[in-house]
Amino acid sequence: MNILVVDDDQIVLESCKRILESEGFSVTLSPSAKDALKKLDTSEDPNRENLKLLLVDVKMPEYDGLYLMTKVLKKWPDLPIVVMSGYPTQDTISDVVKKGAAYFIAKPFTPDELLRAVNRVIKKEGL
Amino acid sequence: MSLLVGGLSLVVGGQLIYRAVLNEAVSRIRLDLNAAREIYLNREKHINVALNVTKLDEDFKSALINLDVNFLIPRLEDVAHEIDLDFAGIITRSGMTLCRMGSLPGSVKKNELINPIAHLALKLRTMVSGTVVIEQDILLAENPELAERARIQLLPTPRAAPRTEKEETSGMAIASAVPIFEDNRLLGVLYGGILLSRSKEIVDRVRETVFQREIYRGRSIGTATIFFKDLRISTNVFTPEGQRAIGTRVSEEVKDKVLDEGERWTDRAFVVNDWYITAYEPIEDILGRRVGMLYVGVLEAKYVDIRRHALSVFFLITAAGLITAAFLGYILGYRILKPIHQLISVSNKVSQGDLSPEIGPISKSEIGVLQKTFGEMLSSLRERDRRQKAESENRLLQSEKQASVGRLAAGVAHEINNPLTGVLTFTHMLLRRKDIDEEMRSDLETIAHSTERVRKIVKGLLDFSRQTKIEAELTDVNKLIQETIALVENQALVRGVLFCFDPAEGLPLRTLDRSQFQSVLMNIIINAIDATEAGGHINLSTGLSVWTNHVSKKGIEIVVSDTGCGIPPENLDDLFDPFFSTKEVGRGTGLGLSVSLGIVERHGGTIRVQSKVGRGSTFIIWLPLEEKAE
Ligand SMILES: Nc1ncnc2c1ncn2[C@@H]1O[C@H](COP(=O)(O)OP(=O)(O)O)[C@@H](O)[C@H]1O
Ligand SMILES: [Mg+2]
Repeated sequence: MNILVVDDDQIVLESCKRILESEGFSVTLSPSAKDALKKLDTSEDPNRENLKLLLVDVKMPEYDGLYLMTKVLKKWPDLPIVVMSGYPTQDTISDVVKKGAAYFIAKPFTPDELLRAVNRVIKKEGL
Repeated sequence: MSLLVGGLSLVVGGQLIYRAVLNEAVSRIRLDLNAAREIYLNREKHINVALNVTKLDEDFKSALINLDVNFLIPRLEDVAHEIDLDFAGIITRSGMTLCRMGSLPGSVKKNELINPIAHLALKLRTMVSGTVVIEQDILLAENPELAERARIQLLPTPRAAPRTEKEETSGMAIASAVPIFEDNRLLGVLYGGILLSRSKEIVDRVRETVFQREIYRGRSIGTATIFFKDLRISTNVFTPEGQRAIGTRVSEEVKDKVLDEGERWTDRAFVVNDWYITAYEPIEDILGRRVGMLYVGVLEAKYVDIRRHALSVFFLITAAGLITAAFLGYILGYRILKPIHQLISVSNKVSQGDLSPEIGPISKSEIGVLQKTFGEMLSSLRERDRRQKAESENRLLQSEKQASVGRLAAGVAHEINNPLTGVLTFTHMLLRRKDIDEEMRSDLETIAHSTERVRKIVKGLLDFSRQTKIEAELTDVNKLIQETIALVENQALVRGVLFCFDPAEGLPLRTLDRSQFQSVLMNIIINAIDATEAGGHINLSTGLSVWTNHVSKKGIEIVVSDTGCGIPPENLDDLFDPFFSTKEVGRGTGLGLSVSLGIVERHGGTIRVQSKVGRGSTFIIWLPLEEKAE
């Protein structure tokens, strides 16, 4: 079961990887929206089939998380997406949810909080 | 019309004059009473001085040492003659009467009672002077004539308090007693005095000096009386038969006030057979008991005449005034009306928003006063206007300040949250490991807790900077409060603080952002819990009110009162500033109230605070009701 994490901050990527791997997920990290799209497009990516969830930050330079979300959902409307943000205003949250995110989590989070979010989404999707 | 005015002014004027005359008379009679008292006290001093001079005489002293009665009696009689004493005597230091004026040597019987004033001086070993009541047997011993003088038949007097006895046998006297010492050894007491009963001396002196024998229609205007209890014993008030009114008594009303309650009395009163303007005051004896009264009074008839005279003059003046007024009114009407017209047009301008209109030249008449008042009102209006402007500028500045702090906070928060995620993650991952020792675990827990704290601060910053629009929905404020209380009730219970909520009935619903508004309530309630010691109370209530400094709009008021520590006045201004907190580091962020105020203001309302250090604080949230057109 693979999870793709997209964030421009290395420490967040590492944190997510550490947490998710401890629960047995396999994790792919990506530092930008562009890079993430490239990874997803490369159909020969062995993990592509197993991709179960996208964990994405909102605020990133160049293309932000919302852009990535819309792009991804256009191609794979069923892919559950969890959005995280260090600046969780009511506006962003409702925006994100409207655009089709399955869940929203505020940074910073503890491992338990992240896992709860991820597990809930995966369960809901019946995976 | 003129006649009506004239008649009215006559009635009113007559009343005024009558009052003025009466007031004048009453205040004069008070002064007269003071003068009468001076005369009374002077007599007492007079006796005292004479006795003191006598006792200093060396011959007198040695005669006393030798009990030389043959020398002493003539000396006593000399003194008594000089200052008109009715009685005088010497008491030995063992308390026996040695001799008296007017008595033969050796005529003093054993066991004879001694004069009470001498008795007191002997007991106190100091000189005593003042008013003294002397009973019949002592008077008899002093001089049988005195006993006869003191006996006064009580005459029936209307309005006097009932008294059972038919006759007064005791007398009232002014007396003095001086102890005589030789080298600190008491030799005896010299005493003397005058009997007031049936005496003319003092009352007539008052009449002569105070009222200067003024005569009105054949009668003396001023009168004076000395009462023993309520009985006239010395007076120059005369009965219709031309007798001094000795034996008549004072009215019960005066007796209650003056003799029983010890107060002064000044008023009109019916004395014996005529109306007088009167003043009474109590007389106390040497033992401090109220035993009598001093009275002065002037015939009211004199003042009635003055009044009548004044009234007729007044009538003439009024009539003349009316005629003149009618004439002048015709001429002046124009001059008075003009400034009034001007004032009217000026107030029109004011109502249209011009606060500095030209009032025109200030008239010298009454209208001038009106013009001035109007001018003052205008300048205070201008002042208020200026203050309101300053206030709104201030508010603008405040929100400017908040906005910039908000932007800063947002930036900082965002930057901090990423590394914070790292700290939280790796601390907790380490904590999950089973192979770490206790010490390391506790260290890691410390890190986790501290990070938790940072997280809270940053969250506060974010809340503060949130400039989101309001997600309004129709809300029952009472219900929202109830729900909020339920959320914090446990926390309060732990601290031993009790809630009491008194919701107003029929409170209209209002559209508001539930979650934001809930956090406002939460903030304020948690602040209250924080401020309150165990056993304290937090009272919440709602109601409708009109907020006057908000253009008199009707609104919902939510009152949160606590019995906590209160807020010192110097902090009240800073309360709503971001980051203002008095709580220990880690407990308070100082953002709660500033965020709350922002939210409430975005709903069109305000928050007001009243607080008294040591008594508690009250936060009042006010939300205007929406206008229908929205
Ligand atoms: N009910 C209250 N009683 C006493 N002091 C209060 C009360 N409410 C607020 N304060 C004072 O106002 C300060 C600011 O409150 P707030 O803005 O909520 O920040 P914080 O609670 O984080 O300190 C508090 O630190 C406290 O000193
Ligand atoms: Mg607070």
